[in-house]
Amino acid sequence: MRTIIINGSPKGNSEKSNSRIICEEFVRKMKSPCEIKCIANSDMEDLARYVEKHETVIFVLPLYIHAMPGIMMEFIQHLRPSSVNDKSLGFIIQAGFIETQQHRYVERYFASLAEQLNYNYLGTVSKGEAAAIYMFPKMFKKVLIKFNDLGRIYEHTHAFDNEIKQELGKPYELTKFQSHVFQFFCDIGLTNLGWRKFLKKNNAYDKRLERPFLY
Amino acid sequence: MKTIVIKECTDISIENTFTFDLSKITIAHCVGCWSCWWKTPGKCVFKDLNEFYHEYITADKAIYFSKITKGFVSANLKNLFDRMIPLYLPYTTYKTGESMHVKRYDKYPDIEFYYDGQFKTANGREIFEQYINRVFYQFYAKNISVMPIEKFCINRGKEI
Repeated sequence: MRTIIINGSPKGNSEKSNSRIICEEFVRKMKSPCEIKCIANSDMEDLARYVEKHETVIFVLPLYIHAMPGIMMEFIQHLRPSSVNDKSLGFIIQAGFIETQQHRYVERYFASLAEQLNYNYLGTVSKGEAAAIYMFPKMFKKVLIKFNDLGRIYEHTHAFDNEIKQELGKPYELTKFQSHVFQFFCDIGLTNLGWRKFLKKNNAYDKRLERPFLY
Repeated sequence: MKTIVIKECTDISIENTFTFDLSKITIAHCVGCWSCWWKTPGKCVFKDLNEFYHEYITADKAIYFSKITKGFVSANLKNLFDRMIPLYLPYTTYKTGESMHVKRYDKYPDIEFYYDGQFKTANGREIFEQYINRVFYQFYAKNISVMPIEKFCINRGKEI
């Protein structure tokens, strides 16, 4: 198989990298698992030349400010258009917010990037509400199985299975009812319990609303 | 009215205005550590942007001059976008019908965003402009305009 998986997270191989976990789960059920490389701590130029030797490149990335992390954009700047027509480019995005319509801006850019680089666009798989995978992997068991299946099927079809892609992408947007319910949970302080726990653990709870740059 | 300039284009400058010159500064990239949210609220582990944060958050308007890079913002400017999260709280609000982070400060500058360069795909310009508008919408800018750099030159009666 001539596919390489690129982990676009600045956390790279860290145990706290959700993108690393998704890379590993994507290849877990393959008969001959694809190679995984990290952008973090790599020589960008060397990695770009290495990546270009493969037929297909799949980026796995966290969503930062509605797009790829800066470090991944730096890597993209090192990629050159392909001189042959049979190469493919795909993306798997994981993000903290629940709804995956937040990813639509960069999904459109990724399609245009594939065109600019003369690669076929394999599509983008998006998963929301993924920030805590590394903290509570057991809670995400079903999600990780979907990534196993996505990779296993990819190995046979060279495509992202549409049904799994749809399931991972849910919810695409919040209904009015959902946003009212979630806002209600915020108003009564339920949603902030997780942050409160970590802020207290770090002795930072009293400073949580500080505005250090108004001086 | 206080204005701040963030520029990658070397041939444009606005006099007597705090200017953050990205053609001379390489910004450390966000490492995703969340220190600015749960360890040292409002402060990044890297100190290279401290003066910028102060100038930005106390400005009424921020003017960007961005160089189109592979149809997108450059990695250096994207690093600046990623490093804006200390200016927001980790908490989420759903009041607009979708997930958004909550403000840390009362007000954020209006945005005038000029871009320089060519798009290589038919919908490249639209994708870029919609992305920039989205970025500053969720950064709570009240007024946002995104335009090719030629508009700046026409508006100001100057040539590049």
